[in-house]
Amino acid sequence: MTKDSPQKALLVVFTVALLCSVLVSVASISLKPIQLRNQLVERSRNIVSLSGLVPVGKDLSDDEILAAVEQLDVRVVDIDSGEFTTTIDPSDFDARVAINDPALSVAIAPADDLARIGRRARFAVVYLVWQGDELKRIIVPIHGQAMWSTLYGYLALEADRATIAAVSFYEQTETAGLGDQIQRPDWQALWQGRKLFDSQGVVRFRVAAGAVVAGSAAARHQVDGLTGATITGDAVTRLIEYWFGANGYAVFLDTLQKQPPVKMINKESAQT
Amino acid sequence: MTVRETLLDPLISKNPVTLQVLGICSALAITNSLKTALIMSLSLTSVLAFSNVCISMIRNHLPNSVRIIVQMTIIATGVIVVDELLKAFAPDTAKTLSVFVGLIVTNCIVLGRAEAFAVQNNVARSFLDGIGNGLGYSLVLIIVASIRELFGAGTLLGVEILPLLQNGGWYAPIQLMLLPPSAFFIIGFMIWIIRSWKTEQVEQPDFERVEIEEAGENA
Repeated sequence: MTKDSPQKALLVVFTVALLCSVLVSVASISLKPIQLRNQLVERSRNIVSLSGLVPVGKDLSDDEILAAVEQLDVRVVDIDSGEFTTTIDPSDFDARVAINDPALSVAIAPADDLARIGRRARFAVVYLVWQGDELKRIIVPIHGQAMWSTLYGYLALEADRATIAAVSFYEQTETAGLGDQIQRPDWQALWQGRKLFDSQGVVRFRVAAGAVVAGSAAARHQVDGLTGATITGDAVTRLIEYWFGANGYAVFLDTLQKQPPVKMINKESAQT
Repeated sequence: MTVRETLLDPLISKNPVTLQVLGICSALAITNSLKTALIMSLSLTSVLAFSNVCISMIRNHLPNSVRIIVQMTIIATGVIVVDELLKAFAPDTAKTLSVFVGLIVTNCIVLGRAEAFAVQNNVARSFLDGIGNGLGYSLVLIIVASIRELFGAGTLLGVEILPLLQNGGWYAPIQLMLLPPSAFFIIGFMIWIIRSWKTEQVEQPDFERVEIEEAGENA
């Protein structure tokens, strides 16, 4: 078998491919648990920061974050009925996986699909933030298709269920330097205190084109647009409209008003 | 070539970025902060050392017909492993680097050294060549990133060096420094400085200069 014979070429190619694939598999599988934990920590960090329980700017370690998120009152909501459900364990439910399961998700009619996501899970994992026995904030997941990527985030509402307390987008791959500005903390801070709905309960929140005109009638529903990121900004406007409209959390927020939730005693404090 | 030359020549006199102008894409994209530049340097250097060693090991069995594709397979493997490691142990930086770690596969320096060096030299030599060229790339990245972060954000590795206006200091950051074009200028200036110092690096013009007589006057 000479160096340049076809047999030799095949042998070398197969050996190299085999060894390389073993190496890649070993690396991928052995590091998976650490990577999953990192993702969990990152998602939790978002939720904890939206809860308002931790002072802004305070850096918590990974373990503190995981402990803090354990303290939150986490529930599963049936989006269509607006009721809490106890048949699903929130720690097992992943809305992104559920989309592939016809029993757990529904198709969205194209006319209603403002967020351009095609299907959505029937359930959502939401977090209730309590201060004493008083409900302070409601944190719900949101997502929608923007220019290049699907934006994933959380929005925290004040107890009045209409005022935005905080927002965060934790996953996106929009244009670097333009669309990805939606992750800028100072821009997200603008959302605080904006009203989602008008007096008729219609979603009025939007990302303005350019700066919000201070004192205008619409100002209470708007945040400044991001320069060079019109498409991403419009997508954010539409996904908010979708998720807080009749197809999204409107029923749930209504139900919350009619039947105020009762604080659930979580496992930690029950033991102590 | 001595061991010393193999290792140290790529730093300045045979620097892959400033002499051969390779690996520019990532040098522009990820040098807006020193931390990402350091992690990128480390990633590229390890991939380069890994691929050089592996390719050198099989250099006498490598059929010419499939040479490049086998090299690419090895390089891609190294890159995937590095990417997985970053995602596990430096998730924040991995996110900032995003596609640029994956794009090490297409970094001309890696395939360039495999082709130019590893297929002809023994394993130890190739390893040193990989480390040397990795350091050469790292040196450029670190210089560019230090300048950009210092003047673009007033910080180095996130520590405030120039007191910022917004924190009561006197320094107003130059926003341009954080955008990719500034890296282009900085690398351009670096190449200029190095070539003024080491004039043997100046390329010969591609054409000969011919003086043309003004023909218009008599006509």
